Amino acid sequence: MTVILQAKNIEKYYGNKNNLTRALAGISFDIEAGEYVGVMGASGSGKTTLLNCVSTIDTVTAGHILIGGRDITEMRAETLAAFRRKALGFIFQDFNLLDTLTAYENIALALTILKTPPGEIDRRVLEMADILGIVGILPQYPYQMSGGQKQRVAGARAMITNPTLILADEPTGALDSKSARTLLESLQRLVRERGATILMVTHDAFSASYCDRIMFIQDGKLFYQLVRGSDNRKLFFDKIIEVISLLGGDSHDVA
Amino acid sequence: MMSPSLALRNVKKSLRDYGVYFLTLTFGVCIFYIFNSLESQQIVMELTSRQAAALRTLDKMMGIFSVFISCILGFLIIYANRFLIRRRQKEFGIYMILGMGKWQISRILVLETVLVGAISLFTGLLLGVFLSQGMAMVTAKLMGAAIGRLRFVFSPAALRSTIFCFGLTFILVLIFNVGMIQRQKLIDLIYADRKNEGFKVPRLTLSVALFLLSLLCLGAAYAIMLLFGLPMANVILLAAVALGTVGTFLFFFSLSGFFLRLLRQNKGLYLKNLNMFVLRQINSKINTAYVSMTFVCLMLFLSICALSSGVGLAGALAGETRRNAPFDASLTVQAPPAGIDPARVALEKGVDLDAFAKEYLTLQYYDVGVKIPLNTGEHAVEAPIYFLKLSDYNALLSRQGLPPLVLGPEEYAISSNLPKEWPAAVRDYMAGDSGLTINGVQLRTSPARLEESPLVTSAYWAFELTGIARDQSLTAADLPVIKSALHINYPQAGEPYETLCLNALSSLELTAANGSRLNPSLETKARVLEGSNSTTTTVAYLAIYLGIIFLLASATVLSIAQLSETSDNIRRYGLLRQIGTDEKMINGALFAQILIYFGVPLFLALIHSLVGLKVGNDLIRLVGDKDIWSSGLFAAAVILLIYGGYFLATYWSSKNMLKKE
Ligand SMILES: Nc1ncnc2c1ncn2[C@@H]1O[C@H](COP(=O)(O)OP(=O)(O)O)[C@@H](O)[C@H]1O
Ligand SMILES: [Mg+2]
Repeated sequence: MTVILQAKNIEKYYGNKNNLTRALAGISFDIEAGEYVGVMGASGSGKTTLLNCVSTIDTVTAGHILIGGRDITEMRAETLAAFRRKALGFIFQDFNLLDTLTAYENIALALTILKTPPGEIDRRVLEMADILGIVGILPQYPYQMSGGQKQRVAGARAMITNPTLILADEPTGALDSKSARTLLESLQRLVRERGATILMVTHDAFSASYCDRIMFIQDGKLFYQLVRGSDNRKLFFDKIIEVISLLGGDSHDVA
Repeated sequence: MMSPSLALRNVKKSLRDYGVYFLTLTFGVCIFYIFNSLESQQIVMELTSRQAAALRTLDKMMGIFSVFISCILGFLIIYANRFLIRRRQKEFGIYMILGMGKWQISRILVLETVLVGAISLFTGLLLGVFLSQGMAMVTAKLMGAAIGRLRFVFSPAALRSTIFCFGLTFILVLIFNVGMIQRQKLIDLIYADRKNEGFKVPRLTLSVALFLLSLLCLGAAYAIMLLFGLPMANVILLAAVALGTVGTFLFFFSLSGFFLRLLRQNKGLYLKNLNMFVLRQINSKINTAYVSMTFVCLMLFLSICALSSGVGLAGALAGETRRNAPFDASLTVQAPPAGIDPARVALEKGVDLDAFAKEYLTLQYYDVGVKIPLNTGEHAVEAPIYFLKLSDYNALLSRQGLPPLVLGPEEYAISSNLPKEWPAAVRDYMAGDSGLTINGVQLRTSPARLEESPLVTSAYWAFELTGIARDQSLTAADLPVIKSALHINYPQAGEPYETLCLNALSSLELTAANGSRLNPSLETKARVLEGSNSTTTTVAYLAIYLGIIFLLASATVLSIAQLSETSDNIRRYGLLRQIGTDEKMINGALFAQILIYFGVPLFLALIHSLVGLKVGNDLIRLVGDKDIWSSGLFAAAVILLIYGGYFLATYWSSKNMLKKE
């Protein structure tokens, strides 16, 4: 299996000399192509910081991050933007869809900024919408959609460019359990059917149980890893709950 | 305390945010000063007492008008300020959290307002003083005054009233700002940018129907204007204005929906770069923007018309001066049948012509009993033609520094300086000329060219033609003299000669051969120019003044509307950046969006203006035959400068706002 993401001892400090916060305290890990990796940890443990650094929205203080073999910590600003739109896909907790655009247009936007030939766009949008089960809502505006539908549209937008890596920060955070389940199943299909690689920060064990591997973070350090292996989802879920209670957190919500 | 330096830092930091506010203030102050400094401009002119009085009246008119203008400017400044404050509510909220009291924040705000006010007042005044030097030359030309020694023009009175008016406005702004801070609740300040309005999309079919309706309305309004022309009956004019306004309103109301539909058909264009985003941006805001768009479009239309007519009028005036006043003074008298020589009579009565005349020239007009039919298509008249001797005419030409006319023995020339379409009618007549007979000799028009040099100083057009024939043709016969004229040039322009001339000649009694009293008319160049020029100059200046103010108003409103929208858009542009959109592409989208907002109202206003000016042109041509279109160029330059300046300021400010987040 090829390694898609390689984090080498990354550190991140916030603040100034007098008031320093160490959000990431030297984390190293690899993610392979086609893996569905979850990140869990208590609130303030550094999950969002980690995701922001990986997603090139923020910069690391020390260490290196290689995505698809390229070191993003040494790229210049313009290269980063280009890298971001070509190699990465994003799903945010609060959807971040453009309210002025329809679902179709929101998805297509990811392609138009890549200067994809217009003839190709239509086909690819429909294909992706089919996988995520949102063909029916393509002509609708975000304000006409439910939270789950919005998040699947965001997923489609993240996936349509065939990115090397999809980054999701608590994508189920704003969803009810039924919508969350639909979204998680859709993401799983993306991994299984299209070979997508996903790095997902999540706050609940249920969402995490869809992943292939969970990384637990505490105080900016990698604290524990849980690999699903051949377990079914129910069994994996129980193991996750076990680790969370070990961590001393609330079994339902660790974020 | 830290607040003065904090205020300075704030102003520096948000210099680009302040851009539009600053522009409005500076342009406002500059224009205000220029138009209030008219009276002091006379130090570079050599004015007769009547011209000076006219200039005072003009100055007073501008002063009265400026009260109205300062209200508009005050409103604009407060409007622009309100936007700035709204944008910074969150910043104030943070100050409050940091423990600053409301009065402390007010103090910062007061300092900022005073600082920006002082800087723009100073810049505007500097610009105004500089530009008013050139303005003095223009005023002199329009008033028909000679330009004297070049001197620095500065008007303390204008300075005072500018500082007074704008000082008052600043105080209003201060009261508004402080009041706003005092009324604020912390919670509102912090969540100031959290408000998310609902968002509605117009139905496309409705948009298309309304768009077609708007075109219909505009077409009808244009047709009415072009068909009837000015002046037209009030009811019809009102209908045209109403149709035009409704049409404009509907146009903006439906435009984006219509274009959205049109462009979406073209996938290649719609799905290219951020086109889709830009179009949707505009489509989403047009719901609230169409009112300001309509306002801006109509204001721009008024501005273009006012500017072009003002400048056109001024231009016509300047042309007229040369045309209607070839001599410093002209005395004409109708005295058939033998004519009279006013100069000889004057000398006989002991008038010392040399006291005020450097040179004088007496002309006799011979009546050959011929009338010439003229037809302009609209009007048809039988214009009488009186003849001048070639030698007299050439003397007249040489006084104006023009080359002499040459005529053959059987030729005559026609001179006319009638306005508008009449010269063409005379040329038409000349083209089909069958000749005329003087004393049994057949003469034909020889130079196919129409002589257009002015023959007399007069405030009015005389609806008669003048023929020119060789001296023998006229003197051989005993033709009656219908009119005599005495033309005088002073040794130099100025008051003393004018007074001498008027005193000597206005009381000159002339009697006809049969003993009856004659009624000579005496016109001087100065009087001709003052009479028409001071009123026309006033109208022209008022039009230009208003035009510029309208332009400022429309640009400010548009700019502020755009900037407020950009602050709402920060989230959207931020999202584009997050998904990795090129910075160049983002800037391009922003540029396109603002360009469309500025361009579309201007575009429609230009089309309105084409119709408006076509109609206005006919009106201006009643005054002089100068075309209004050339002055459109001036209007275009002013618009490019001011409107373009606002466009760029808006773009830069918006870009800055997006960058900061
Ligand atoms: N922009 C920032 N400035 C200063 N400190 C920050 C910033 N972002 C996060 N932190 C700090 O870094 C730590 C990790 O935060 P975060 O990554 O958001 O945690 P999580 O997402 O796991 O809740 C926290 O202590 C937080 O206070
Ligand atoms: Mg977080």
